[in-house]
Amino acid sequence: MPLPAKAFQRWLNGVAPDTSTAVICRVSGVKRTTLAQQLVRGKVAETTVVSISRAYDINPVAALATFDTYSDLVSSSLPPSDRELVSQIATVDLLRAVIVRTAPTGSAGTGSTGSGSTGSGSTGTGPPELSPPPHATSVKNWVDAIDDGELRHRVSAATGVAPQNYSAQLTANRLAPELAVATSRAAGVGLAGGLVATGLVTEAESGWPPGARQAALDRLSDGDLAALAGERLQALGKALRRQEQDQEQTERIWENLV
Amino acid sequence: MIEILQWTTLIASGAATLSRIPNLVRRKNRSIFYALALLTLAILLSIDGPYLAVDALLGGANVANLLLRFIIFGAIFFLALRIAVGFGDSRGIQLIRGRTGMLALGIISAVLVVCFVLMDTSGSSAGLVDVAAKNQQNALLVEYYGAAGRAYPAYVCLAILPGMLRAIRNPLPALLRMSAALLAVGSIAIPLSLLFPLVPPGLGFLRFTVNYTAILCFVVGLALIWVASARAGRKHRPLAAKRR
Repeated sequence: MPLPAKAFQRWLNGVAPDTSTAVICRVSGVKRTTLAQQLVRGKVAETTVVSISRAYDINPVAALATFDTYSDLVSSSLPPSDRELVSQIATVDLLRAVIVRTAPTGSAGTGSTGSGSTGSGSTGTGPPELSPPPHATSVKNWVDAIDDGELRHRVSAATGVAPQNYSAQLTANRLAPELAVATSRAAGVGLAGGLVATGLVTEAESGWPPGARQAALDRLSDGDLAALAGERLQALGKALRRQEQDQEQTERIWENLV
Repeated sequence: MIEILQWTTLIASGAATLSRIPNLVRRKNRSIFYALALLTLAILLSIDGPYLAVDALLGGANVANLLLRFIIFGAIFFLALRIAVGFGDSRGIQLIRGRTGMLALGIISAVLVVCFVLMDTSGSSAGLVDVAAKNQQNALLVEYYGAAGRAYPAYVCLAILPGMLRAIRNPLPALLRMSAALLAVGSIAIPLSLLFPLVPPGLGFLRFTVNYTAILCFVVGLALIWVASARAGRKHRPLAAKRR
């Protein structure tokens, strides 16, 4: 799945010619041992390319696109859909938006800064800034946002990844970069969207216009927003309850057998 | 080889028992201490030398063997019950402590005692080997006696096995799942011992291997739970507290 070491070396030569690995590692923050291991194995992780390109002021998405696996990343630059954009807004931010919209106009500003928004930099007037993606369930929310009901089958047919493995990654809020791009491809949306949802690249790096998520949020009707927030809350509740049950079971083992 | 396995098991089980002393003093899950102490005693009695010494004290009529069987019953009862409670296996608890469990224990104990009484048990012999060699009837009785002695542990292990298998697949911490796996292996090994009469004499070492692996799996499985608890940094850490 990751990038072939040979192609990576070639790319690295173009990016930082005559630079030692030690320097590249220091500048990019990639651990030397990690990089050495990846080179020995012949498979370089996408995160390595992203870190190095950031260090050398290259767009990570463009850097990835120089590799065969991701060659179509740049050429197809469909803008993100509203559903995609909204899926990348953290649940807390959605809930805050619900509160801001439904609070009586007089007390909206002071009320929200008093309790909700802990961000110190936010000014009193405008809406509090959305936290950058990824959020705790961003991968699953993103796939749900672009899923027409058959998406998972198409991805698994195209990549050969078993549906249950795919689902397991979504539940863990992870998705291998290649799978993320394959998912976009199968859904016919902008190819870098999945990379944003998995946190590999930022919205800006993927070419999402600044403020796009906020704009998409503002375009949501009150009803849609409330329903979406409700869905997220329900999923959150389920996940938390499952976590609590697991914790309870562990506690019971300790209580009785320790 | 078998000697090594026996003594290793004894040491592991003895160490586990000793490590429970702080909790015994604290009155925390004391039944685990009792179960482990009984288990250690049972292992000791199943080794030739200690068996002959103890049986000599008890009159040299192999009463120590009968004692050994009931010690095993007691140890396995307490231990399995704790495990079932810990892993939240309500069906397992029911099967061990409920009417079915008590009925099984009663019937099996009765068979055990009747067989023992009917036997000519004079002459101390670990595993009742010499007793069985005396005559045809004794050989048959020893066979039944042995089967009864293995039947109750087998029943209890089968009762907790589904719970263990479920725990392996649960999203528990890795160490706890490993521990559940070991306990499951132990719970499979003990019922396997019911098949011993079918094992050809040439493969006699298999009996020992199955027996002692079962016990080792149980002891190490439990120890892993304690390690997991200590790792998780809980307040009452029996082992860590003692070492400091």
